[in-house]
Amino acid sequence: MKVKQSLVSAHHNYLVNNRVIPGFVMGDPGSKGDFYFLADFVLPGETTPRCSGRLFDEQGELLVEINWNRLGENPGNCVYRPVRGGFQVVSGAGEVLVAVRTQQFTNGYLTRLQGRAYDRSGSLRMETDGDNVRVDEDELAPLAGPYLEPFSGAARPADAS
Amino acid sequence: MRRVQSSDACGRVWVFGDYRNYFKNRVTLQLIARAKDLAGKLDTGVTVLLLGERVHQWAMEYVAHGADTVVVVDLPALKDYRAETYSGIMSQLVELYRPEIILGGATRFGRELFPRLAKRLDTGLSSDCVDLEIDPSDRGLVQITPAFGGELLAEIVCPNRRPQMATVHPGTFKELPHDASAVGCILYPELEIIPDERVEKIRSRPERDRETRLEDAPLVIVGGRGMGSKDQFETLFELADLLGAEVGATLPAIQAGWAAPDRLIGQTGRIVKPKLLISIGTSGALQYTAGIRGAETIIAINRDPKASIFRMADLGIVGDGRTIVGLLLEELRKRF
Repeated sequence: MKVKQSLVSAHHNYLVNNRVIPGFVMGDPGSKGDFYFLADFVLPGETTPRCSGRLFDEQGELLVEINWNRLGENPGNCVYRPVRGGFQVVSGAGEVLVAVRTQQFTNGYLTRLQGRAYDRSGSLRMETDGDNVRVDEDELAPLAGPYLEPFSGAARPADAS
Repeated sequence: MRRVQSSDACGRVWVFGDYRNYFKNRVTLQLIARAKDLAGKLDTGVTVLLLGERVHQWAMEYVAHGADTVVVVDLPALKDYRAETYSGIMSQLVELYRPEIILGGATRFGRELFPRLAKRLDTGLSSDCVDLEIDPSDRGLVQITPAFGGELLAEIVCPNRRPQMATVHPGTFKELPHDASAVGCILYPELEIIPDERVEKIRSRPERDRETRLEDAPLVIVGGRGMGSKDQFETLFELADLLGAEVGATLPAIQAGWAAPDRLIGQTGRIVKPKLLISIGTSGALQYTAGIRGAETIIAINRDPKASIFRMADLGIVGDGRTIVGLLLEELRKRF
């Protein structure tokens, strides 16, 4: 029998591949120009998930950088759109690259991610699957605490919620 | 932050996650707390089984209350509870992980599911336990439950079969505080689900919640056969209104139709832990006293000075309960 295993936080988790996970990283956030996506661990007392990434189109052209839920370099003229419980990053062509929506329970939070993202070689790395996102299991590095490795973007901000 | 279990370990003390009753009683959280004690003595961890659809929030809640691991089977086919399907899945999981102990709530849900599961696993089950211990000599589970009509407390062991299974009343154990910093392990086994095709769901309607909050009440009045009649028993409700109390009943009073079955206190009913319990016209059968052992103070009223209820009472009044309730009402009515 096949058994998949993950961590689960009592406070906040992301739903990825139909499973909960307290945080994860794909690619290398320390790289200067490659694809990455970071859904950072949310500490007790914080209520906002923190997402960062460098996203490309099907041709491998950089569309946008996201630094802790804010747009950075943005050659694709993407738009940040606040929605109930989170935000979306929409490409200039109107496609939702990333949608982040957090649901609050009695004692915790669950964030659902959706979207479609490619890397620098034009390979699909992340796509919507129902109410969450599907990624390659082998690419997914789970986090059991805040991401502390070298990071090409701005420093992790204090909780803004 | 609590340590996460090693990746290949699934704690061998299991608790069934009865999240459907979360807002009615918190028996799963209470069982996790007790399971932590038992698991500590067995050098293992606590695993909660979670079956259903979109149940992730409950996995988080159970980890916050002490679970080391949560085994999740999250499928649309499990949205509605079906005893055969659930017990079939649980038996597959037992086969896979070989737990030592499985605990569940002695709720209507647990009373249906656990005997079926025990039969499938060809093992024993102690129902309606009032305490659980580990025998240090053989590390087996000692399941303490009233027996022989409640006349004695039996210590039941299951030396030759595994897992050892028990159901426990809501309110028997105290839950651990919510720890938002806890991180646990979550396992998603890919099981073969064989739906129970003998049952077809046509429609469902939630049952009206008519249960009282006896488990949480700080003041409980319990009436027994000594109240004599339904009319006399009704006076306990007036007394409870004046004192801000909840009313419970012993088995003979329930059998006489003087109170609704959901007010039954004891081995087969509710376990209460009030600051003050007033026991009126009750003899003190073990079946009943098993449900009031957690009361901080007990006042007993009975005509028979040899009634066994006086052995556990902090204050005893020898007299007719009906007369004394009448006097109490007379006095209280003057004050309110």
